[in-house]
This record gives sequence, structure tokens and C-alpha cells, in this order.
Amino acid sequence: MVEKRRIELMLCAGTGCVAGGAFQIIEGLEKEIAARGLEKEVSVVQTGCNGFCGQGPLMVVIPDNIFYGWLTLDDIPHLVEEHFLKGRPIEKLMFTPPEEKEVLPMLSDIPFFKKQLLVVLRNKGIIDPEKIDDYIARDGYVAIEKVLTSMSPDEVIEEVKISGLRGRGGAGFPTGVKWKIASQQKKTPKYLIANCDEGDPGAYMDRSLIESDPHAVIEGMFIAGYAIGSSEAFIYMRTEYQLAVDRMKTAISQAREYGLLGKDILGSGFDFDIEIREGSGAFVCGEETSLIHSIEGDIPEPRQRPPFPAQEGLWGCPTVINNVETLANVPVIITRGADWYSGIGTETSKGTKIFSLVGKINNTGLIEVPMGINLRDVIYDIGGGIPDGKEFKAVQTGGPSGGCIPADLLDAPIDFESLQKAGSMMGSGGMIVMDEDTCVVDVSKFFIQFTNDESCGKCVACRDGSEALLEVLTRITNGEGREGDVEFLEELGETIKDASMCGLGQTLPNPVLSTLRYFRDEYEAHIKEKRCPALVCRNLIQYYIDPDKCIGCLKCLKNCPANAILGELKYVHIIDQDKCTKCGQCLEECPPKVSAVIKVTGNDMDDLKQLSEIIPVPKKKKKKKTE
Amino acid sequence: MSLNLEDRKKIGSALVVGGGIGGMQAALDLAESGIKVYMVDNKSSIGGVMSQLDKTFPTNDCAMCTMAPRLVEIGRHKDIEKITLSEVESITGQPGNFTVKIKKQPRYVDEEKCTGCGACVSNCPTRNTVQLQEREVITLEPQYEETVINILQKHKDRKGPLMPILQDVNEVYNYFPEKILKYISQETGYPLTHINRIATFYSAFSLKPIGKHVINVCMGTACYVRGAELLLEKFVDVLGVGIDETTEDMLFTLKSVRCIGCCGLAPVATIGDDVYGKLQSKDIPDIIAKYQKKEQ
Repeated sequence: MVEKRRIELMLCAGTGCVAGGAFQIIEGLEKEIAARGLEKEVSVVQTGCNGFCGQGPLMVVIPDNIFYGWLTLDDIPHLVEEHFLKGRPIEKLMFTPPEEKEVLPMLSDIPFFKKQLLVVLRNKGIIDPEKIDDYIARDGYVAIEKVLTSMSPDEVIEEVKISGLRGRGGAGFPTGVKWKIASQQKKTPKYLIANCDEGDPGAYMDRSLIESDPHAVIEGMFIAGYAIGSSEAFIYMRTEYQLAVDRMKTAISQAREYGLLGKDILGSGFDFDIEIREGSGAFVCGEETSLIHSIEGDIPEPRQRPPFPAQEGLWGCPTVINNVETLANVPVIITRGADWYSGIGTETSKGTKIFSLVGKINNTGLIEVPMGINLRDVIYDIGGGIPDGKEFKAVQTGGPSGGCIPADLLDAPIDFESLQKAGSMMGSGGMIVMDEDTCVVDVSKFFIQFTNDESCGKCVACRDGSEALLEVLTRITNGEGREGDVEFLEELGETIKDASMCGLGQTLPNPVLSTLRYFRDEYEAHIKEKRCPALVCRNLIQYYIDPDKCIGCLKCLKNCPANAILGELKYVHIIDQDKCTKCGQCLEECPPKVSAVIKVTGNDMDDLKQLSEIIPVPKKKKKKKTE
Repeated sequence: MSLNLEDRKKIGSALVVGGGIGGMQAALDLAESGIKVYMVDNKSSIGGVMSQLDKTFPTNDCAMCTMAPRLVEIGRHKDIEKITLSEVESITGQPGNFTVKIKKQPRYVDEEKCTGCGACVSNCPTRNTVQLQEREVITLEPQYEETVINILQKHKDRKGPLMPILQDVNEVYNYFPEKILKYISQETGYPLTHINRIATFYSAFSLKPIGKHVINVCMGTACYVRGAELLLEKFVDVLGVGIDETTEDMLFTLKSVRCIGCCGLAPVATIGDDVYGKLQSKDIPDIIAKYQKKEQ
């Protein structure tokens, strides 16, 4: 057990913060603490993902509960001396909400954390994920003891059924019902698979969950295994998530050491063990029948259902496949009771949901909120709104299978049904925020590119249909859209939905269909007016230097990769539109005070062309100065 | 070939080559307008590819429902003569008057008497005998052999061992040398075609050697909306290779990846195990230079 210290530094060691240099910070802190002889008083704890990834590398100082973000190695000596030695917290490193001056020292004051409700992530940032004792100290593995000593498998299933828990992988199938089907099957052995093949772009809930609390997943798997009568379980993880895989390996070996996995657990006669299987980068493997094929070493293509995996799955045996987040809910339901759990959320969607809040938003990170919270609260209160005072445009939920939800539906509650009604879906929980600078046609094209790439090729509708969608979308973004393209996209989208076998194909047109529903005018602007309202699609925009603003500093000219800018020092620069590749470098280079480079689209382009012809030779800037 | 209408003596029958859905419709249209039609198909029956489909794209129509009436119609039309198991050898003549030479394969069955019961198929004594070539025995060079044998040994008792084996081999060699795949096939009994399909299905696997440092530019949604495309272009520019290609010095392989789950740091690229978050295209040349310097 860890000795109690005066100050504990909970340093986030999730992938985001590690990439930001968290391990170097930890090393630096330990060195500095040792140099000042504080080892007995201050300890550094590596926790899993804290969630506030946009601020990483970050730490929380316990017991004061002070939050420090954006740490650098240079801050450390000052921090250790001022705060840990002299007891004066440093304001400079604390969180200040954008557009406000007041710093918020305490973790609990920061709006990002305030509106969250931590059920699944109850241990995030509080325990060291690589120490089983930490988990046990937070009532870990109590649920295992409870089910083994006082509950029959049927009672466990009943409890989960009453709790109203639904699958967190996307479709939202009631977990208790799935377990019931598997437990009724006569064939043995039965298998349990935890699905952590999180392939959605823009989503990292499962990875963070395992990085911050792997034992909760193990405990959930154990209970599920007990309920359905399975002694062999697999956890299928993406090989790209190396840190999560390593932590899971550590956690499993610790649980074995403690006798919580293996033969005859806690003297109950029940055997249970978990094996890790890694995927190798195929999105379709998140689909349950493909996943089964992948574990079997077969071609990971989906197959027709029924029979459902719960009836006939891995090696033809009954198999329950649950998302890891679903499984991490189970121990809480057992220890705190189904009634408590079903008190959270809405009529049809119970409990909480983890989302990864990313894109054009101030506070990017991982959040857990009760079902039924509305999108406005998530984006403006927790997410802190849109950066740089830009306008909110839409939020994309459910990844490539989901759809865009526009601004006027911001007050809709987040639950399985209402998201579906809005043309999107819960999905695994990616939430990508887009502002006015995001072109919805371009984003749709991006998603179709993704699904087209990842389609396994088994069904014609998905394989060739996505290709056809992509062709039309590319045409539209290139400014070659034709009359009737919008209607064609709609018709094709519906066909792909109807004619595909697995979830990937059935949902792949969603991004297109939902944006067509809410942003049809943008598609039409691309097609009819050859105009990209968000100024994104390259063939439809032009960069242009405002002659009234340009100070002739040569900055853009020197950095232009295509040598498309003409001009001299103190002469107004002109962009040669024939050479310009529209990379946007000049816009980045132009000093913010000057901001002479602008983007234009549609009819505005023609107006500006004339201007640049009027001043073919750079004119002297001196005249301007005398004005 | 100059023709005037007087020369063109039309001789009254038509030949349709191919008995697929298109050929069938053409034959029926011709026959309905009173022309005698010969229909040639190289298979033993007409119907073509459509007869193998369940549904057709994009209308989702049932293939058989489209075909069946035409099949029946052709079967009983007095003006259509089917010449199956046959191929067109040569065509001479001119429009309106062709002479066609058709080669007919032997059928060994009297078409007049056959009822299509299929009993001959199931009773044929030689049908299922497969003539196999003797397989060559693969032996690996000593430097490979030990590693591969160890990997095979490690996963011997596993259920569904193929994926773990391939992952371990990939870990060691970064790609799959053809010989090793053949060796795995020989030792595990998985057909080589099956192994090849697996090896080409997953994006983490490659059949070509890849560079020492793999550069993965994240093209996940969060990175994409923050301009990951520009980063990728810069990498292409700096390295002088395209996506999924390797530099000549075998140092770098450039790849684009679908989300590495560091969306908080978007846009992100990884080089080997190093993660570069909030990357800007102007930093890229320096980063590449850092790795090149290490090698010298």
C-alpha cells in the first residue's frame, strides 16, 4: 500500500499527455523533489487519462485539488520551490477560461469538470492504473466478491436488465437481453469478448478508459463471464494503442497474481481467464462478426446475422461481445444496485456516456456525462465554446457512421433515440465540433473516403456505392458539380443503406444524408454557384492580397512554396493565380496586425481578379504612408 | 470496304454471340421481329453472369426475376436456335452477309434425350480426383529460421494462431518476406492464399520492405479539420516520396493513418514511437533532419 504523503501530484500519463512530454515532466519533478529533500513529503503518481487533454501535460495537486496545465520542464524548479516548499500555488500555470481573466485554481471550479458525472471513469486521475492496490482501495473487485458469494448468474443478468444498461459500442442493444440469450444456449464452451477495436476517427474513449482504469474492465468482464457461464474471454484491442495494451497486460497479470483470474476464483469453483488479442488496423473488425473472424484467424469480413454471435459465435459457440465501456459499467451496477443506476439518464437511455470532445472547441478532451444532457451544455459549458470567437456550425456524433447535428438542434437531449431521430447516432462516442470554417461537403467527402478505404469489399453496395459517392462528392468539391447530383447522392445513399449487410455499409451514407438534410444549401452553393461558403474547397477559392493593407514585408513571398507571389520589399505583393496551389501558407505568414491575405470564393473571385489586373506592377508603398 | 445498298444482299438470319442477359434480350428482340436467330455461348447453358447474382446494383432488383422470363421465352421460341459449348472461330463477309465458323465442343450427352436430372454429375467416378503437383519444401536461411520457428512454437497450442503469428513476424521484420509466408503456410497448414488475404487485409501489414522510421500522419476527423492534409503534403514534399512509399535510403516510410486517438493534440503525426502533436508544416523539415542526423 502507498504511504500517505503530505502532497500527492497526480500526473496524467494518458497518450495525449505522454506525447506532450509527461514522462520527462515526471522525471524532472522527481529529480527536483529529491534535490530539495522532499521525497518523504511529496510523491508523484502516474494516473491514467485525466480527460482535459487540451491542457496536457497536466497534473492535479492533492489534497488542495489544484489543477496545473501546459507544464514545461522550465516551470518545474519554480513550481516545486514556490508551491510544494513554500505553499504558494502558482497562478501562471493554472487554468484560465478563454475570454475571461480570472484564473480557476481548483479542479472542481473548472466548468470542464463541473458538469460531468463520473461513473465509468470514477477512478480516472485518482489511481495509478498500473497498481491493483489502488483500484482495490477504491472498492475495486468488491462486485466480484458480491456476485460469487451472494448472486446466481440469473440474478446478475436480471440486475443488469433492470439497470437498463445498453451497449455503448454504438447500436445500443440492451446488455441484459444479450446476456440472457447467451446464457440460455445449450452449447458449450461459451465465450466472452470485450471489444476495444476503436476505429472511429476522432474517438478515443475506450483507449483512455483502459489507460486510466484497466481493472474496471477486467472486473466487468469477470461478471459478464460469470453471468453467461463463460470461463474463457478475449479482449480485442487495436495494436496502435500500445500504451493501453501494455497497461492491460500489466493489469491482467496482477489480477492473476491476486487470484482474481485463473482457476477456482475465491474458492467458488468458477474459472475465468482473459487473453489479449490485437487487431492490425482494419476498421471493419469493430463489427462483431468480423471481429470473431479476426480472432479465429479467418478473413475478417462480416457474415449474415442471424444466427447472432450470442447463439453461434466464436468457433461456432455462443459468444457475447460487449464494448469495454459497457463492461466497465457493470461493476458499479452490481455494487451500487440497478435502482441507483437507472436513476441516472432518460426514460430509454440509462446511465452515463463517455464522449471524446474534439475538433474546433476550446476544451478538447474526454468527458463523461449523464444521458439526457443537452448538446449546448456539452459544447458551451464543458467544452468552453468555439475558439477565436467563431460561429458554431455543427457537431458530428457517431464517427463515420453518424451524422451532423446543426445549431438549431443544440437543445436536443443526448440519448440513443433522439440522436437517431436527428439523423445521427450515439456511435461509440466521438463528438467532433465544427465551426463556420468547416465545409460540410468536404467533411462528408472525408468520411466517405474513410469508409471507402475501410470497406472490406464483400458487398457490392458498400464497396462500389462508396466509390460512386466519393466520385460525386469529389466532383462537387472540385467545382464540377452537376444539376441532379444532390438527388443522386440521396438515392444512392438510401440504396447503400438497404443493400449492405453489416453496420459499416448500412451506416456509411449517414454523413452525406444528414448533411444533405441540414445543409442542402451548401451543396447547392457548390454546384450551382461554384462557391464554397466555408472557404475550404481549393478549386473554388482564391487567395488574394488586399493592396490597401499589404505592407510589402516579403514574408509571404519568401515562404510561398510555389513561388506564386510577385513583389519586392515595400511593394504591394500580388498572387499569381495560375501558379498558386492554394496551400494557405501566405495566410499563415501574414502578420496578424496586417492580415492583408484573404480568401474569396464564388462571384467575389471575379470582382477581385479585375483589381489585380489594375495594378500589374507593384506600386510604391510610400505614397500610402504620406496619406 | 465500300458498300452501296444494291450490293448488300441481306441473308435472313442473325447470330448473337454470348447468352448473357444482353444477348438474350437482343435475341428475343430479333426473333420477335421475325428474324431467325442463332445464339452462341461458350458455356454449357445460357444465362451468363447475371444468373449467379442475388441482387443487382443499384436498384436492388432480384436478378432471377429479371432473367427467368427471358430464359423461358428463349427456350421455347421457335426462331431461336441455341448453340452452346461453342465458340466463334472466324467471321468473314460483310454487313448483311456474314459467314461464321463455329467450333462446337463435344458434349458427350445426347441433348435430345437429356432431362437435366444431374444424376451423371453425382455418379461420375473421376470428378473429384484432384491432380496435385508435388509441393516444393521450403527451408529458410539460418538467420530467419530460428526466429520464425520460435514464433511458430510460441503460438502452437493457441486456437486461431494465424493472427498472433503474423503479428509477431511483422514485429521482427516490419514486412512479410514471401518465403516466410510460404514457410508459415507449410508449417501451419493454412493455404498460402488464405495467409496472403490476411496479410493484405490489415493496414499494419505490408508485403514490401518498409523504412526504418514509419511516419504516420493522422487523418482522423479532428486532425483533418485542423489541416492534417497540409501536413501530409509537406511530408511528401520534404521526403520526395508519395504516401505508402519508402525513401531510397530505407529510412522513412510515409503513411496516413486513421486516427491514433490523440485528438486533443490535433494535428498529429507519429514517427516510430515518437508522437508530434500540434504539428505545423514549417516544423517538418527540422524534424526529418533530426532523424537523418541520427543515422550519420
